[in-house]
Amino acid sequence: MNDSLLVTLLVSGMVYGTPLLIAGLGELLTERSGVLNLAVDGMMLVGAVAGFWVSQRMGGPAWLVLTAAAATAMAAGALMALVHAVVTVTFGGNQVVSGIALTIFGGAAGLSSYLAVIGKLSGERGHHQFTKLDVLGLKGVPILGPLVFNHDALVYVSWILVVAIALYLNHTRLGLHVRSVGEAPQTADAMGINVTAYRYAHIVVGGAFAGLAGAYYSLAITRTWSNGLTAGAGWIAIGLVIFAFWRPGIVLVGAYLFGVLTSLGFTLQARGVTLPPELFSVLPYVMTIVVLVLVSTVWAKRRVGAPAALGAVFRREEH
Amino acid sequence: MIRLERRLDTPSWLSIAVVLFAFGMGLLLAAVVLLVTDHNPLSTYHSMLRAGFTNPGALSSTLVNATPILLTALCALVAIRMRIYNIGGEGQLYMGAMGAAGMGIALGGAPRPMVMVGMIAGGCLAGALWAAIPGFLRSRLSTNEILTTLMLNYVAGLFVYYLIFNSHSYWRDLTSGNAKFYPQGKTLDRADWWPALHFGHLVIPTGFIIGLVLAAVVWWTLRSTRAGFQLRVIAGSQSAARYAGIRTKRAVLSVMVVSGGLAGVAGASMVGDFTHMLDPNGLQQAQFGYAGIVAAALVGFNPLAAVIGAIFIGSLTNAGFQLQGATFPQGLVGVIEGIILLCVLGAQFLTTYRIRRAPRRDPAAPAAAASGPALADQTPVLDASPTFAGRDLEPVTEP
Amino acid sequence: MTAAIGTRGVSRRFPGVIANDCITFDVVPGEVHAVLGENGSGKTTLCKILAGLYRPDEGDVVIDDEVVRFNSPRDAYESGVFMVQQHFSLVERLTVADNVVLGWSKRRGFRHRRKEVEAEVAATAEQFHLEVDPSAYVWQLSVGERQRVEILKALYRGARILILDEPTTVLTPQECEHLFDSLREMTANGASVIFVSHKLREVMAVCDRVTVLRKGRVVGSVDIDEDGADPRMLARLMVGREISLMTKPPANVPDDAPVALDVAGLRVANDFGRLRLKDVSLQVRRGEIVGLAGVAGNGQRELAEAISGLRERQAGTVTVGDQPLRSSSPRHAIESRLAYVPEDRLGTGLVATLKVTDNVVLKDFRSPELSWGPVIRSDKVHARTRRLMEQFDVRGTPDNTVRQLSGGNAQKVLLAREMSSDPVVLVVAAPTQGLDISATESVRSLLLEAAASGVGVLLISEDLDEVLDLADRVAVIYDGRIMGVVDAEGADRDEIGLMMAGMEVGA
Repeated sequence: MNDSLLVTLLVSGMVYGTPLLIAGLGELLTERSGVLNLAVDGMMLVGAVAGFWVSQRMGGPAWLVLTAAAATAMAAGALMALVHAVVTVTFGGNQVVSGIALTIFGGAAGLSSYLAVIGKLSGERGHHQFTKLDVLGLKGVPILGPLVFNHDALVYVSWILVVAIALYLNHTRLGLHVRSVGEAPQTADAMGINVTAYRYAHIVVGGAFAGLAGAYYSLAITRTWSNGLTAGAGWIAIGLVIFAFWRPGIVLVGAYLFGVLTSLGFTLQARGVTLPPELFSVLPYVMTIVVLVLVSTVWAKRRVGAPAALGAVFRREEH
Repeated sequence: MIRLERRLDTPSWLSIAVVLFAFGMGLLLAAVVLLVTDHNPLSTYHSMLRAGFTNPGALSSTLVNATPILLTALCALVAIRMRIYNIGGEGQLYMGAMGAAGMGIALGGAPRPMVMVGMIAGGCLAGALWAAIPGFLRSRLSTNEILTTLMLNYVAGLFVYYLIFNSHSYWRDLTSGNAKFYPQGKTLDRADWWPALHFGHLVIPTGFIIGLVLAAVVWWTLRSTRAGFQLRVIAGSQSAARYAGIRTKRAVLSVMVVSGGLAGVAGASMVGDFTHMLDPNGLQQAQFGYAGIVAAALVGFNPLAAVIGAIFIGSLTNAGFQLQGATFPQGLVGVIEGIILLCVLGAQFLTTYRIRRAPRRDPAAPAAAASGPALADQTPVLDASPTFAGRDLEPVTEP
Repeated sequence: MTAAIGTRGVSRRFPGVIANDCITFDVVPGEVHAVLGENGSGKTTLCKILAGLYRPDEGDVVIDDEVVRFNSPRDAYESGVFMVQQHFSLVERLTVADNVVLGWSKRRGFRHRRKEVEAEVAATAEQFHLEVDPSAYVWQLSVGERQRVEILKALYRGARILILDEPTTVLTPQECEHLFDSLREMTANGASVIFVSHKLREVMAVCDRVTVLRKGRVVGSVDIDEDGADPRMLARLMVGREISLMTKPPANVPDDAPVALDVAGLRVANDFGRLRLKDVSLQVRRGEIVGLAGVAGNGQRELAEAISGLRERQAGTVTVGDQPLRSSSPRHAIESRLAYVPEDRLGTGLVATLKVTDNVVLKDFRSPELSWGPVIRSDKVHARTRRLMEQFDVRGTPDNTVRQLSGGNAQKVLLAREMSSDPVVLVVAAPTQGLDISATESVRSLLLEAAASGVGVLLISEDLDEVLDLADRVAVIYDGRIMGVVDAEGADRDEIGLMMAGMEVGA
């Protein structure tokens, strides 16, 4: 039963969905503060390379190395995001162009490949990998076993993050503040909230999450490094945030859904079904567009939808 | 206390000076990165210069890259001039390539000029239609175009990939020898390959000439025609545009269509000048759509300057390719390009603001105060980040 | 009696205008103090100074007889001073309770317990008789309810001095009553309220003392209870007398002059969907200047926009000459030779970032005279611009951007464009606002010239002097209705002042 198509599909969906989830949560935080970060994919790649580097060159027990690798990946993503913050928040630069610039900077033709070459990482087999754990010894349980009790540590971390972020946004004072910064920065500023500080913090944290999500690729999914490892997952993560109506819980559902769709195509192909895999790969993007359209209707705009000030430059007025 | 004061207008020498300054800063920062990783920046830059321009054949190779980038840069800047962020040039290029390849295959055997015109038309139309989707969504439903165009890039990419790799479509080559081992597109007749202009040793692709002509046309249109005028007005103040009786919704859609058409021509040139078939992998690796946005941003979205921008980015890409090896790791091009663009972006505020030192309490200094009727935020285009939530082209922040 | 809050010799200038000129006044604890005046009298600027939004150029703000310096609104909050402005600063997607407690960290820890917060906010609301549901989202609320949330924000933070800027413009009569009840509750607790208004009836109903401002100065201070204020006297203080600049020669518009603009039964909604103009009718004949007097915010903008096609009409007709205008079609209005000089000079009437040449042909660029097919003939455009700049004495060059011109010159460009389009009707709103004396003179004479050449001019202005000086007939608008139309010659200023303040003029 645990080998059935359905279960395998769901499990692989969860695995492919995890980096989407982590990166998506990061982007959600950034966007909630009113800033658009299009460089998620670039940050993921840099995080992937950084994490892989540490895992290859650091000695010690596996858990230590992997933790250090994850931390390094997060730091790498955070640093890139810091650049985005400086350019867009402090210098008021265009958020779209800055995001594209950082994507090129860090992407497959950029820093990530550069670091891989310098560290001579290409093609090496990974020394360490996040392995699947057997939580509470229940991995053999029908259906729930592989779905809930047999994942690697980062999957469980991602679940904790979903809950933490949902609590943060809706039930803490800081979360209230950041929501107001994303919706109406002028009002938040008038109420004494430091818009710049909140934006910086959320952009950097978003980058850290993106870095961690990237590391999942090189340290869990493939256990190796190659250029452009993420295959555009960062862009799906951006779409995911919209698809999820900027809500952490739905980001979880959406991530796994997108993960399933991506692997569905190939799984079916492997089993001889003649539908082109592109049909499934395209669904996340199409679904995101549909959501975008729905969210733009006046009815929806008031209730759900993008933080009202997303993308706008904030400048305090003179007096 | 440092105070930023909005400039009333930006002299053109200042814009150029700021870009050059930022460019220099970027080169310096990139040099630091090189030093830190044990590369000699001076020799690296020197070899890049040679590989991009001065080596025999280098300039021709640079132009090969510059051609599609010029067209996608025009695509991006035409839309941005009206504060519409069309980042779908990549997907519109793919669709243009598909359209052109299809026409090229269908018209095979006809006289070359006719094939070329057909291909350009097919490419342009395909790109325009692909851009009309987000354009329509934006103009009628106020759906923000940044994400719709972005998502459609991937849809186009997957579609074109499907046409060659997972289907038996019209575009796919099912008969020739190679095709039995590896899926590929039908190759156009040799006779229909687009010609290139030979200037001594320099080879100029037809697409580049088309790009030059279109750059001039775009420049002239923006400057001297009614359409360009309306675009200026809408970008300057949406309420003034309505007041003047301009139909803004129609204008939005038109601009997106033209923008997509330009990227479509880029796709047509890719097929006609270089690949001679529909080559999804090649197109997707090249990422010319995004490169065009970078080139346009570097030159402040000026159509004539876009030629220079495209040649510059083209030379970087070319140099990266030529020099690839132990001393010139693959990622270096992206690093340098990214750093330079980020510096240019960051330095933009110098063109819109003046730096002033003001005492803490400013009794009779009215210069810094906003007064009278509120000035809607009339920012120069690059400074204006878009407002996401699908609002109808509003100026960015209300004072 | 110590003043709760007050000013000593406060002055504030903006480029070209003195908004506050050496203002000294006091508000005592527990009173509702009105600041009465027309727009341009400086009342909003004064309040913004009190609330820490502006710094005075000279003079001091005093609280409890001690001089205070506010560097930001936050400093004012610390001292218990809050201002509720005409444009609210609320986050629509958050609840009422969230908005009220936003940014206020006293007594509140890390957690944001929804129920607790809502209960706290509900308690404050009840204490002051403010009916609002703390768990409702702001986007669901009516304008009156939103105002209550703004007031609640202040009270929750322990406001001792509450400044309300024209609070009743957006309220229904019932909501006004609720507001007044809340104000009485507040002052019973020792807080003070500064009530900025131009509406005499309300001021007399709810306020204890009144300070009247005119053109940036204090012109009078009246204690309603003691002195028993007479509305006529207050109106006179408010509109005053001034030395006129240029005036119109006695009306020589023949009675059978054709009607240039005919507005009949106009019903127009405001931005929130509520009816703003209620059966407005007026006529302007060719060669006549009809002045529309009234304090800003009484429907003038909606009227001007409805006439020029920028705003939809719910009912009624607008006719230019013999051409009825289509609703919501600015182009039709332009084609029917209606010219409009909007109040928002640099945002709507002109595009500040474009050159003068572009602005001159803003409406006209399609005409065969200026364009050859798709091409705009820049030589013709330049020629016309130069001609107009000379004719209207605009200082600057055709290639300057409008932003670079002074306010007066920008306004002249706008007028030049509109007037040179050979219109049948010219609608001008606030034409001399923010302009210095010489620019004002120029603009006035241009308007007189337009009328002399047969254009029907509708002059919408908050400056009653200007209206009386230039117009043949004066209509007064208040709360979306025309209160009355009188001949300018021999008009009784006090009567007009009363109409502007909403009082019906009896026999």
